[in-house]
Amino acid sequence: MKKSRLTTALAGTTIVTSMLVAGCSGGGGNDDGSKKLTFMFRGGEDEKAAYEKAVQAFETANDVEVDIIVTTADDYNTKLKAAITGRQIPDVFYIAPGDVQGYVNNGVVKDITEYVEGSETIDLDNVWAYGVDSYRYDGTLQGQGAIYALPKDVGPFSFGYNKTMFDAAGIPLPDPDVPLTFDEFVAISKQLTVDKDGDGAVDQWGTGLNVQWNLQPFVWSNGGDWLNEDRTEVTVDTPEFAETLQWFADLTNVEKVTPSPAEAQTLDTYQRWMKGEIGFFPVAPWDISTYEKLDFEWDLIPYPVGSTGETATWTGTLGIAVSNTTEYPEEATKLVEFLAADATAQQSLVDAGIQVPNLKDMAQTWVDDSTTQPANKQEFLQIVEDYGRPLPANNTYNGEWYDELFTNIQPVLDGDVTAEAYLKEAQPKMQAFLDSANEQAEQAAALN
Amino acid sequence: MTLINTSPDPVDEAGARKLPAGFGAGRTRTKSTPMGAKARYRIGNVITTIVLSLGAVIMIAPLLWTLSSSLKTREGVFQLPPQWIPDPFVWDTYARIWTAGPLLSGIQNSLIVASTVTIVGSVASSLAAFAFAKMRLPYKNAVFLALLAGLMIPFPTLMIPQFMMFSRMGWVDTLLPLIIPGLFGNIIMIFFLRQYLSNIPDSMIEAAKIDGAGYLQIFGKMILPLIRPAIAAQFILWFMAVWNDYLAPIIYLNSPEKQTLQLVIASFNARYAIQTDYPLIMAASFVALVPVLVIFLVFQRQIIESIALTGSKG
Amino acid sequence: MAHARADAPAGTSSAATIVPGGAPRNPAGISSTPPPPRPKRPRLHRREHLVAAAFVAIPVVGFLVFTLYPLGYSFYASLTSWNGLSDPQFIGLKNYVTMAGDPYFRKALFNTFFLMIGIPIGLILSLVLALALNRKMAGTTFFRTIYYIPVISSLAAIAILWQWAYNGDFGLVNQALGLVGIDGPNWLMDKDTVKPALIIMSVWKGLGYSMLLYLAAIQSVPRSLYEAASLDGANAFQQFRSITLPMVRPVTFFLVVTSIIGGAQIFIEINIMTPTGGPEFSSASVVWYIWQKAFENLQMGYASAMSIVLGLIVFVITAIQFRVNARNSFSVD
Repeated sequence: MKKSRLTTALAGTTIVTSMLVAGCSGGGGNDDGSKKLTFMFRGGEDEKAAYEKAVQAFETANDVEVDIIVTTADDYNTKLKAAITGRQIPDVFYIAPGDVQGYVNNGVVKDITEYVEGSETIDLDNVWAYGVDSYRYDGTLQGQGAIYALPKDVGPFSFGYNKTMFDAAGIPLPDPDVPLTFDEFVAISKQLTVDKDGDGAVDQWGTGLNVQWNLQPFVWSNGGDWLNEDRTEVTVDTPEFAETLQWFADLTNVEKVTPSPAEAQTLDTYQRWMKGEIGFFPVAPWDISTYEKLDFEWDLIPYPVGSTGETATWTGTLGIAVSNTTEYPEEATKLVEFLAADATAQQSLVDAGIQVPNLKDMAQTWVDDSTTQPANKQEFLQIVEDYGRPLPANNTYNGEWYDELFTNIQPVLDGDVTAEAYLKEAQPKMQAFLDSANEQAEQAAALN
Repeated sequence: MTLINTSPDPVDEAGARKLPAGFGAGRTRTKSTPMGAKARYRIGNVITTIVLSLGAVIMIAPLLWTLSSSLKTREGVFQLPPQWIPDPFVWDTYARIWTAGPLLSGIQNSLIVASTVTIVGSVASSLAAFAFAKMRLPYKNAVFLALLAGLMIPFPTLMIPQFMMFSRMGWVDTLLPLIIPGLFGNIIMIFFLRQYLSNIPDSMIEAAKIDGAGYLQIFGKMILPLIRPAIAAQFILWFMAVWNDYLAPIIYLNSPEKQTLQLVIASFNARYAIQTDYPLIMAASFVALVPVLVIFLVFQRQIIESIALTGSKG
Repeated sequence: MAHARADAPAGTSSAATIVPGGAPRNPAGISSTPPPPRPKRPRLHRREHLVAAAFVAIPVVGFLVFTLYPLGYSFYASLTSWNGLSDPQFIGLKNYVTMAGDPYFRKALFNTFFLMIGIPIGLILSLVLALALNRKMAGTTFFRTIYYIPVISSLAAIAILWQWAYNGDFGLVNQALGLVGIDGPNWLMDKDTVKPALIIMSVWKGLGYSMLLYLAAIQSVPRSLYEAASLDGANAFQQFRSITLPMVRPVTFFLVVTSIIGGAQIFIEINIMTPTGGPEFSSASVVWYIWQKAFENLQMGYASAMSIVLGLIVFVITAIQFRVNARNSFSVD
């Protein structure tokens, strides 16, 4: 009996050890001599499916195997950084513009200028300049110099409205060429905020905006900004900025045209918009595939305008970069180029409804196609070409100063603290983070 | 047989209660009112049972709620007033979870890590405990104390250098950083086994030595059978601890197919909450709970014994 | 197998010797003849030393490589500016100065200690539970099992299901409160309720464990003590205070020490339930902040400094506990 137990234990150990060996030998390398790349990116289910398809096309065309690592948007940054510090840098990966300087200074990403400029398959003039320039860096200033990544996409963060709801309420549709003023926007929102089923609780709202992603268009249009020209000073304590933030908070607390904070926390305004409970809501290209399934009609308009009279918003972007440590730089760069600028690949991504085309000529065809939602696709292109700006932290060494603004902002949104008082308190803290970031940038540049 | 059941009788509160205050002298009366005391004890039991049942409902409700949510439709979870019992029952969710994320490989990875660590680590720990308890070695108590002191250092204090160490070896995104440190044994287990061994008289071992037995022989033939129950107890506890670990895996593992079960369900949570697919999240979490739950129900007696012992040895 | 229960009531030698009707101290009926005088044979000793050293070497090497070296390196790293990509740059105590002025570190520290409020609550509740389960009545085994289930469940899964249970409108907690007419808050989204929410969950999860240890300790108290006390006219409360409580003190000590060490490292539930550190950083714990700084902002030097402070805090608290409980603490031999 003792013997059998010992045998069992031994057998158990053997099995486990062999499982272990099998489990650990999977990573990296070319088991059978073929070339293998890893590609790490982020996105939801639709994006994942679309990119898997595009990558498959690349694999067949180039006889390269590509391993895919997908994470959620929230996890991506941590996972990538762990991989980088863990010396397990994927050959090809997404990079945010805000990380370019740090990764370049530390030798993480490869300079692909030569390849891209010498390539016959990619015509840089046909790719959005904003997209490419976001990943240029000359060692001191971002936006010029060598190319370290190609844009995965450009993400014009536009504004939309629920057409069906407007029709039902008998409100004339907003003009896609003439932006609403702040006051008009509030007035319409008030008309839309009603208790439809008559149970005493409001169940349809004018709007419902997330401060972290929606404050920028209003601040900019009202003449405020986060930083001064040379990115040395945090300027959130200006009257224009405070006025806009207060107005933003008042949408909930004074005008009451949004779900209350509690309601918004229980069911996100994004979900409520999709359920048809919200009139105005932001729309980005990556939402199109999801919004196609909505059972109401919607379209794009420019963001409402404040004192400057100019509409504004931001254009997001993510780049695709090549690791400096890749075994197959040529194939890796080819994959980047393929995903960013190959006509067939772009078409499949656009058809999947997750982005606007990176190629200008293709974008025009896309806009002219009246069979797909939204009708006013032109708005997206106008943002990219004309009035879209980078997010405030895109061109600083890190984003801590920017995140700081939002960490403690809730009391303002709840109406417990005035915007002015809050911003006055936040500015020095943000400034300290910015100073530290600029200092790090200088140190890093000095080391190079 | 179990610790709890064979222990001394419960406190006989009846014996105390029936004595009115200041009735210290009336010892003879103790036997004259047994019925009243028993009745009172029984009433006490009823009240206790009711209170314990209420508590039990609170303890078990979140788990049942998870199960119930996992069987609802995606809209059903957002219904008000809530569906306490799913209507209709959606069993399909339990089929979907296996393709919605790398749940299966998560279970496999967790198994690999937990079994390798505990099996090899237990051997290492038992040998060390034997040496610490029963063998002559200069400064062994000082060494043992140093190891014990190491327990006071929290893992977060060590995780950054450990991470850099493993990253230099190229082991990030493999299971090795989770496995290797555990193979060297577990101080808690060594401590516990050492205490246990101190009950074995030295004379036995001396006698065996005189008979010419080697130390491995003594360990294998004499010590191991004696401390087997203690090893088993520690083994189960350790296994569950490794199985449920989260901080180390989240640092080291990136690729979905390399992740352990705990990470897989956490990423289910992150990924599908955005799509409000709560039944899917709840089903995956429930599936993650089941293996340990089953182990617990099967080995309940041993587990509870070993926990009680561990605590008392502190 | 009776020996498996051994001397349940902790390391106090007095308790161990008076366990009534208990198992022999001597497992499995090994004859306990007095040890013969140790033969003095140095050559054999040397061999024994070698073998013993080999057995002990495994955990010692593990300790050196995976504890002592990282500890030393952590200390060194705490004096550097280090992003994990390039080499650390020595900057002296600057990280510690930064830490002293870092409002987020202070907040994380405060949150971590605040969340420990659950420890005494859990201990009191579990002692009461143990007393209840100690009664002679039907169903105690069943209750013991039920109360113990959360303990063995994975914290990651528990955190996920409680996150859902805490949902403001559709969660179990507010549904249940609604049944008794209370309009519950949106627990995890409000800076005033997120910490209580986490505390409630941790008490719920840990209750069974402490209950079990208390139960074992209570049951090993010799019944004769209570009998004698009741004959002397001590009422139930007096008996509890002067017999039960002192007898379970070692268990309380053990639980307090392990809970504090564990509580100082709280991370999983924070990471899963409030991935951004909670509204206004109100649930961020020290380990969460260290993790974020180290692996998200790549400030490995600063994170190391915080981790050293965390280690010191744990060490000091443990040392104080041992000092206070010197009388009850175990001795190594």
